Amino acid sequence: MSHGHSNPIHHPEVQMASRRNYLTGFVIASLLMFAATWLVSAQALAPFGLLLAIMGCAGFAVIAQVYFLLHIDISEHNIWNTVALVMFIPLFVITIGLTWWMFSQLYLRTMPMIPGMPGMH
Amino acid sequence: MLVNVPGPWSPLLGRLALSEIPYKNLILAPLFVVIVLVAIALIAGITYYGKWRYLWKEWFTTVDHKKLGIMYIILGLVMLFRGFIDGLMIRTQQALAVGPGNNGMKAMGAIHGYLTPFHFGQIYSAHGLIMILLAATPLLVGIMNIIVPLQIGARDMAYPYLNALGFWITAAAVFLIMISLFVGDFSHNGWFGYAPIFEMAYSPGVGVDYWIWTLELIALGTTLGSINFLATVVKMRAPGMTWGRLPVFTWSAVTANIIALTSFPCLQVALALVAADRYLGTHFFTAGFGGNLMLYTNLFWLWGHPEVYFVIIPAFGMLSEIIPAFSEKPIFGYTAMVLATFAIGGVSWIVWLHHFFTMGMGPYVSTEFSIATMLVGIPTGVKVFNWAATMYRGRLSFSAAMTWAIGALFLLLIGGLSGMMLSIPAINYMVHNSVFVVAHFHMMLLCIVYAVFGAVIFWFPKIYGFKLNEAWAKIMFWLFSGGTFLVFFPMFMLGFMGETRRLDWPFNPQWAPWFDVQEVGIFVYVLSVLAFVWMLYVSIRDRSQNRVHSADAWGTSRSLEWLTDTPVPFYNFAMVPHINARDEVAWRREHGFLESNPDHFKAIHMPNNTPMALYIGATTFVLGFALTWRIWWLSIAALVLSVLLMIFRSNRGDPGYVISAREMEELDRESKAHMQEKPALPLPQGGFAGGTATAYSPLPHNNSPSGGTPPSSGQAL
Repeated sequence: MSHGHSNPIHHPEVQMASRRNYLTGFVIASLLMFAATWLVSAQALAPFGLLLAIMGCAGFAVIAQVYFLLHIDISEHNIWNTVALVMFIPLFVITIGLTWWMFSQLYLRTMPMIPGMPGMH
Repeated sequence: MLVNVPGPWSPLLGRLALSEIPYKNLILAPLFVVIVLVAIALIAGITYYGKWRYLWKEWFTTVDHKKLGIMYIILGLVMLFRGFIDGLMIRTQQALAVGPGNNGMKAMGAIHGYLTPFHFGQIYSAHGLIMILLAATPLLVGIMNIIVPLQIGARDMAYPYLNALGFWITAAAVFLIMISLFVGDFSHNGWFGYAPIFEMAYSPGVGVDYWIWTLELIALGTTLGSINFLATVVKMRAPGMTWGRLPVFTWSAVTANIIALTSFPCLQVALALVAADRYLGTHFFTAGFGGNLMLYTNLFWLWGHPEVYFVIIPAFGMLSEIIPAFSEKPIFGYTAMVLATFAIGGVSWIVWLHHFFTMGMGPYVSTEFSIATMLVGIPTGVKVFNWAATMYRGRLSFSAAMTWAIGALFLLLIGGLSGMMLSIPAINYMVHNSVFVVAHFHMMLLCIVYAVFGAVIFWFPKIYGFKLNEAWAKIMFWLFSGGTFLVFFPMFMLGFMGETRRLDWPFNPQWAPWFDVQEVGIFVYVLSVLAFVWMLYVSIRDRSQNRVHSADAWGTSRSLEWLTDTPVPFYNFAMVPHINARDEVAWRREHGFLESNPDHFKAIHMPNNTPMALYIGATTFVLGFALTWRIWWLSIAALVLSVLLMIFRSNRGDPGYVISAREMEELDRESKAHMQEKPALPLPQGGFAGGTATAYSPLPHNNSPSGGTPPSSGQAL
C-alpha cells in the first residue's frame, strides 16, 4: 500500500506538468493538423507526395504529443513510461508494417494502375 | 460541413420523432409494455421496501472493486440473456423460413419466416455485438475486478474511482444498445460492420449510429479498466508477492489487459473515422473520392483479433484456478503456463488478417498470416496439456465448477481444431462466410461461457458466503451442453453443406432437418436458462444450509483470495498478509499457518464513495444518444457537462478516510465471528420416516478408539 505519500501533487509525474509544455504541444499538434488539412483540401501536391507529406505531419504530431503532453523521455523517474513506449514500438512496426505489406499486395491485384498514382508498393 | 440527413430533422429534437418508436411492431410493442410494467414493479418494490437509499449509498456510488465487479457480472448476465433471446429469434426465423412454399407470416410483413430481412439483420448484428462486447467482456472484467485485487493482496484497485467510471461508461453503452430496441433501429450490417454498407448512402437510418456510439463507449470503458488492472498488478501487490508467485489468473488478467490497452484505441480510431464519414462527409471508407473500403476491414480486425484473445485469455486463467483446486495439485508447469499466456497475447497481434483471407492480397501475405495463426496452436496446446497433466493422478472431485471447466476443455478442443482448419487459406477459401466459421467461433466463445459459469460457481461462496446449489448447477451444465451439441453440430454440418452466414431465408429445403435439430437445441438452451434461474433461487432460499464457515470454501483452494474472510469484508484483508510461496493458501495449509490471525493491526486508508462516476457515465449515455439522433445542442451540453464534472472532481480530489488500528481489530473480530457463527435456529428440514430415535449407539464395552476400522475387526489398538 503506497498511501504514505497520498497527495498526488507531489508525484514526480504530476510535478512535470507545466502550462508552457501543454500549450507548446497543443499549438504544434494543431499547426501540423491544419497543415495536413490544407495540403489535402488544396491538393497542393501530387497524390503520392501528399501521402508522404501528411504521414510526415502525423509522425511529427505524435512525437510532439508524446514529448510535450505525455512527458515521455528516457529519464530515471519515467522508467515505466519508457517501458511502455518500448513495448509499443514493436507493435507499431508490426501493425503498420504488415498493413503496408498487405495493401501493397492487395493493390497489385485489385487496383487499376493509374500513372502518377503509384499506390503504396 | 455536416452531412445532410435524409428525412426530417429539427434543431430541437434532431432526427427524433414519434414515428421512430416502433409501436406497430408485433414483437417490440408487447415487449415494451412488459419491460415498462417490470420497471414499474421494480421501482415500486424498491420504494415500498425503502431500498433507494441503500442502493444509492452501497451500490450506485460505490468504488469498491467487489461491488463494481458484481454489478459488471449482473450487467453481463442480463446482456447474455438479451443476446440469447436474439439467438433464439435467429434460430426460429431460419427454422420457419427454410423449405419450399410460401411460409412467411404476413402479419409481420415477412415473405419467409416471421422476420423481415431488415429486422433479421438488426437481430444478428445486435446478437454478435452484445455477446462479445456487452456480455463476455463485462462478465470477464467483472470477475477480474473481484478476483485480481484479492489474489495479489490489495485492498482495492489502484484507481477505485476510475474503476467506477469504467463501469458506468460500460453501463451507458448497455443502455444505449437497449434503447435502440424501442427508439429507432439498430445497425443491420453485422456486428463488425461492412464497408461501405455502413456509409450514409446505404444505411441512412440511425442504426449504424447506435452501433458506432455503443462500440465507442464500451471501448472507452474497457480501456480505462485495462489501465487500472495493469497499475494494480504492477503497484499494489502484497509484500512477498513477487512476479514468480503471481497466480495464473492474475497473469492472464495482465496479458488480457495489455492486449486491451493496446488494441482498443484501434477500434476507437476506426469507428471515429466511420463517424467522420457519416457525420462530416469525409471519404475514408467509400469506394470513390480516394477512400478505401478495405482499410476499414483492416483497421477493425487489427483490434478485432486481439479482442478475441482479450476475452479468451481470462477464461484460460479461470480454468487454471478451478482445475488445480479440484485436482488437489498445484498447476502443472506454472512457468510454461505463464509464458504460453504471454505467447498467445503476443501472437494475437500478427494474425488479424486471417479474418479476411479472401480479400485478395495474394499467397505471400496469406502464408505469413496462416503460419502465424497456426502458431497460436502451440501455446494453446501447451496449456491444454498442462491442464491435463494437472489432473493426471490428482485427487479429482467433480464438483459443478470442475464439470464446467472440463466442458470448456472439450469445447476448446473442438474450437481449436476447427480453427486450425480455418487457418489454412485453401480451406478458408472453401468455407469462408459459411456457418462453419460461425460454429467454430461459437465453440470458442462458449468455451469462455463455460469457464465463466465455472468461475461464478467457484468464486461465488467467496463473495456471498454461501455456495450455489451443486445439483442444479450440474443439471444446468448438462442442459447447456445438450443445447450446445444440438445447435452447433448441425451448424458445422450446414457449413459443410454450403450454408452462408446470416441467411434470413435458407433457400435449400434439404437443410430443413438440420434447422429443426438446431431449433430443438435452442429450446434445450432455454431449459438451461430456466435451470440457472432455479439454481439461483434454490441457492438463495437454502443459503443458511450452504453457508461457508471458513475462509477456504472448497477446502482445497490454493491462491491468496481464499485466505481472507468469507464473505470478503470491504477492506479485503484486515492485515495484508506476507506471501511466502506461489500457492499461498496451499502453502499455509501445509505449514499450519491457515488459522493464524494477525497479532497486530495497522491503520488503513480507504477511498470514499462518489456519485461522480455515475454522473459522468450518464452524460456519456446522453452524448451517445444525442449524437445518434444528431441533436447537436444536447451533444455539446452533455460533452461540456462531463468535462466540467471531471474538472470539478479533479479539483476536489478524494482525501479518503482512515480506519484506525483499533477499529480495524474490532472489524476483524466481527467479521471472523460472523464467518464462523453457526445458525441459531434449527434449519428447515424435509420430513422423515419414523423409527426409534438413537442419537449415538451405546458405548461399546471395550473402550477402544473408534477409528476407520470396521466393527468386525474392532480390536484394541
